[in-house]
Formats: sequence, C-alpha cells, structure tokens
Amino acid sequence: MDEPGRKEPHLGGNPYAYPTAERAAINVASAPAQADKHRSPVVFTASAGEYFRIWIVNLALTILTLGIYSAWAKVRKKRYFYSHTRIDDDGFEYRGNPVAILKGRIIAVILLAIYSFAGHFSPALKIVFVILLAIAVPWLIVRSLAFNAFNSAYRNIRLHFGGTYGECFKVIVLYGLLTVISLGIGYPYLKAQLIRFAARNHHYGTTQFEIGSLTRSFYRTYLKAFGVLILSFIVLGITVAVLSFGLRVGNRGALPMGVGIPFAVAGYGGYLLLFAYLRARISNLTFNAITIGPVQFESTLRARDLAGLYVVNIVAIIATLGLATPWAVVRTLRYRAGKTILLVAGGLDSFVAGQARQVAATGEAVGEMFDFDIGL
Amino acid sequence: MTEFSAVYYDGRTSARTPVRVRALDHSLHLVGAELNIEVPFADVRVDARVGDTRRILSLPGGAQLHTDDHAALAALFPRANRLEAWVHELERRWGYALAALMLIAGAAWWSVTLGLPVVAKWVADFVPIDIEARLGAETLYALDKSLCTRSALGADRQQALQKLLGTLTSGLNDRYPYHLEFRACGAVGPNAFALPGGAIVVTDALIKLAQNDPQIAAVLAHEIGHVRRRHGLRLALQSAGAAALIAALAGDAVSITGLAVILPTALLQNGYSREFENEADADAFRRLKAIGLSPKYFAEIMMRLEDYHAKTGGRQDGDTRDTATGKGALDYLSTHPATAERIARALANQ
Repeated sequence: MDEPGRKEPHLGGNPYAYPTAERAAINVASAPAQADKHRSPVVFTASAGEYFRIWIVNLALTILTLGIYSAWAKVRKKRYFYSHTRIDDDGFEYRGNPVAILKGRIIAVILLAIYSFAGHFSPALKIVFVILLAIAVPWLIVRSLAFNAFNSAYRNIRLHFGGTYGECFKVIVLYGLLTVISLGIGYPYLKAQLIRFAARNHHYGTTQFEIGSLTRSFYRTYLKAFGVLILSFIVLGITVAVLSFGLRVGNRGALPMGVGIPFAVAGYGGYLLLFAYLRARISNLTFNAITIGPVQFESTLRARDLAGLYVVNIVAIIATLGLATPWAVVRTLRYRAGKTILLVAGGLDSFVAGQARQVAATGEAVGEMFDFDIGL
Repeated sequence: MTEFSAVYYDGRTSARTPVRVRALDHSLHLVGAELNIEVPFADVRVDARVGDTRRILSLPGGAQLHTDDHAALAALFPRANRLEAWVHELERRWGYALAALMLIAGAAWWSVTLGLPVVAKWVADFVPIDIEARLGAETLYALDKSLCTRSALGADRQQALQKLLGTLTSGLNDRYPYHLEFRACGAVGPNAFALPGGAIVVTDALIKLAQNDPQIAAVLAHEIGHVRRRHGLRLALQSAGAAALIAALAGDAVSITGLAVILPTALLQNGYSREFENEADADAFRRLKAIGLSPKYFAEIMMRLEDYHAKTGGRQDGDTRDTATGKGALDYLSTHPATAERIARALANQ
C-alpha cells in the first residue's frame, strides 16, 4: 500500500517524511556560514487515534466496495499525512485524483495477473515478460516520481519532476550492469546516482533542486556496514565453534536444538540494526546534500532510534493482529519529521510557480503493485 | 453573516497573505494587506474534510484560501463533497471505527473459511491436467532428493498393487493417469501421499503394516479422493491467497513485518488440509463400496496406524496419522480430524 512508513518517501513527493542524512547538530551549530539562517523545523501534528479511525473506516469501505474505494482511501490517508506535515505553520497538500489512481491500479492488476499466469503456463513467456518489465522499470520510476511531484504542493506551489526516460534508463541499466559485473562493488555508486537523478530533477515551482555528490559518503557508509557484517559473521563463527567444542564432551553430537534460538534472535536483531543504520545514514546524507533555492536541510536521524522504533512497531503490530499499524506509521513519521530542520536564508515567500503538465497515475500504481521503489 | 480568518495564496508565488473573509450576497469578500477580492460562491471549490486537517478553498485563476474554521465552511458550503463528507462523519466517531473493525474481522473470517476455498477451486479448474502432473513430478523429485529411496518391494507385488489401484479407479472417467510410486521413506513411516496429477506415493512401511490388500485399498481410495478433487493444487492456491489477504490487511506496516504474515498463514493451512481429509475420507467410503469392499477396512488400517504411532511414540507428520485427542477449538489447528472420529465415521458407513 502507500503508507510512507513503509516506503522511504520520494523526494518532495512525500514531504511529510523528508528523507534524510546525518549531520551532527554540533557541526551545524558551529558552522559560521549557517549562522544567519533561520531554522524552521518540520512539525508533524497527526494523531494516532484519529488516523486509526480514518485507516480502519477506509479499509472497511475498501472491502465493502471490493477494492474500488481503495483509490479514495489512499488519497484520504495521504491528504491526512501531508496536511499534518507543517513547515512554518503551513501544511503540505496532496492533490492526487482518486479516479486517475483507480485507473492506474486496474492496469497494474491486469499486468500482475498476466505476469503470474504467464509464469505458470510457460517459463519462456515469463522471461519475455521480465525483459519487458526491465524495459518498463525506468518509465515506471519516472512516471511515479512525476505523478507524486505533480500532486504535491506547499503554499499553493506544486512540485514538478522533469527527469527523462533516457536518463533514468542510463542510471538503472548502465550502472545496474556495472554493479552486477563488479559483484556489488558498484552498488553504492548506483544508489548515489539514482538518488541524484531523482533529486536534481525535482523542482519546487520554478526552483530546481540541487544536490551535492554522494558517492564518497555512500561508499564510506556501505563499507562501514559491510565491515560490521563481516565482523559479526566472524564473531558468530567463533562462538559456534567454541560452543560445539564445549558441548561435544558430554553429548557427542550436534548442538542441542535450543542453542539455535539465541543465534536466530541475534541474527534478526543484527539485520534490523544494519537496516536502520543504512536507512538513517543514507537519508541524512541525501537530505543534507540538497539545496532548494534559499533552503537547506539538517537531517539527524539516528540508527539506534530507528532500530528501536522498528522493534517496538513489529512487536506491537504482531501483538494486536495488525491493529497497531496506524500508530506505528504515525510514530515513525513523527520521529522522522522531528529530526528534520529547514535552514532558510531570508524566507520561504519568494518561490515562483512554474508550468506543470498533467501526469497519469499508471506508472505510480504499477510500481506500487510490483513493489519496487527507489528507496530514497 | 459568516466571517472567518484564512491565508490567501495567489498560486504564482509562495508568499502568504493573511485575510479576513466575509460571506455576503452569495460571494466571498477577501480583505487583507493590499488585497480586496470578491469571488462568487459558485466559483469556489471546497476540498473534502479529512480529520481535523486545514481546509483548502480553490478560487478561480489558481489561487487558494487555507483556513481552520470548519464551522464557517460547513455553514457556507453545506452540500460540498457529499460522499466524502459522509466518510468523514464515519471517521470521526469511535463507534463507527468499532463497526468497521468488526466488519473487517467478519470479512476476513468469511473469505478465509468460505470465499478463498471457492475461488481456489474455481481457479484450479482452469489448470490443465498435464500442468498439474508437472507439479506432481516436481514434488516427487523433491521427495526423492530428501526423504525417500527406492522401494524394496518385489516387482510382482508392485504389479499386483498397481492392478488394485486400477480396480479402484476403473470407471472414474476423470482422465487422471493414476499410478503408484513405491518408495522406502524411513523417517516418514507407514504413509501414502497423493501428488497432483495422479501419482500416489506409497511407502514400504505402509504395505508391511497392512494385514491384507483391502486395507491398502482403503488407503488408496482415500488418496484417489485427494487426486480427483485436486486437493494439492487447491491447498497451495488457498494458502497463497490467504497470505496475500493478510499482507493486504497488514500491508501498511513497516516492510520488515513479513514475519507477521507467515505465522497466521501456517495456521490457516492446517485448517484447510483438515477439511480436505474429511472430503477424501467420504470419497474413500463410497469408492470402497462401489467395488464391493466394506469401509471397515479403512477403520482397521487407521487403528493399525494409530497403534503403530502409539508404539513408536513417533512425532512424525504423516498423511494418515493423527492424534486421537484433538477436539474442540484446537481441532481446527490439527492437520487431520481426530482419528477416533474418522474411524467412527468409517464404521457408520459400512
């Protein structure tokens, strides 16, 4: 579905959950260049109780209408979150048209049905479909970003996404191949290029987003994560070895079953921590590199906060059979907003609107259905 | 006269102009610093209300008014966005939220217990038999790779049992190429599995456990029921459907909650296969009678299986084994209906 807590938000597309990057608050405070800038925090004012009622009523209506209402449900939920994301007391506005979204979803469902049936009847057909999908992916990404941008506004000025298929194709296919050939070493570069592509093609009115280079900092981040991963594998290996020596004396055989459980818990916890670390760092680095006219960002997400948030969310959602979902989404968004501050030189009054063309929702809906997002 | 405060955005720049809005003679009069505009009501579009979020009024030429004064807007535009205004009324009250919750729970329960099986059966009917047979062949391959090895049964005995299956399936007229696959599957114990597409795997231990051929026939008749009713394929489809449904309901959550989907799906699968066992049993009784055998042989082999498992104390999962105690609420969680119940039914069907 479309909740921002689940996907990393698109740049500008989901303004209530601004992406991210870590720049320690002390650094910023000590930088003299920032001194004359006005600090405008992103404020998230949604309430979990109110969102729960919206969520559950819209889910019930979706079921009653056999899914047709889902487009309206999506728009209402998005409008709720956009409006509750405020900068300088002004909320964001989501203008998505439910009918356009419904059309996109119908097309997406048909494609998904063809895809799953093709696989059952003929593997060759499935390969053809996968190739077609690969050709379509850049188009889907571009359309999806364009639709979200076109339907997002702040102070009655729309966002606009001007990226082209060709440019997106180059990033994904070329750098994607490079990543595969280099056995993954190129991945941080791919990720950095993809985020740069998404960011610098966004406009707020006529003001184009600018973004600094991310490659070096991304490499540093991924290397660190990779190092921690290797280290924990070594530690785990040694632990298993030591344990099996110790127990073999009395038991003469494999490890008893119970020993596996702490390892499984440690493994899942480690995965979660690494996931949170990458998400926090990549988000912080991205946002702190972006400039929109007189506006810069200070994003200070912390990995351990995010990891704690995720753990509590998962436990709460499982324990309540899913009913805690709205609460989990709201608190995640509130945390993200609370760690994002705008540094504004002058004021926010001087942005000028641009010409915007209507965008169909197909790309966004199909992308949603096949569950890929470019993870900003 | 209605009057409210708002902020005016002209749509050309991001500058904000606080204004006082008065409603007079079917028009809105906007008054602010260097601003004095009159807009007829008919040209104003009001957005639908979502929660207590700020309202946006769209004016001609792309300008907007933003205001928190819901009462004033309700008085001025009582008929705007009828449908979504109604949805908003539902969203406002906890009572409706509770009703929605019960509706969702009911719908989920209904689709899991009634809807999904019907849809899965409908979809399964579209799958050609040769594709089903391919699925079965893949399953057999997996069994051979993991649990089973070649049967030690003599060729004569194998042929006799194939003939027995032929007797059982003669006149069924359902185009399935029924045949037995003999295997020695140590860990599985005495057992038989129906694979999609017509193959029936029989373990050597089962042949050894049976005292006579009619008892084997009873087991085969049960497995034929599974094949004919496409239980394997339907079970796979139903489980996939249930997983998709649960994912759709809980899908709003953070992506790493996949675990929350796996657990309920596994529980549901148990409930489904239990129903299929009952169906296959009923088929078996009918089949046995059709070729002149009594369903009491089914009861006999079930008792022998139960004795076997009681003796070995084995906790292996098998197709024809079950706990005699699983009754009541927990019954739905057990793979097979309680054995005692099945034996009683077989005896009642003599």
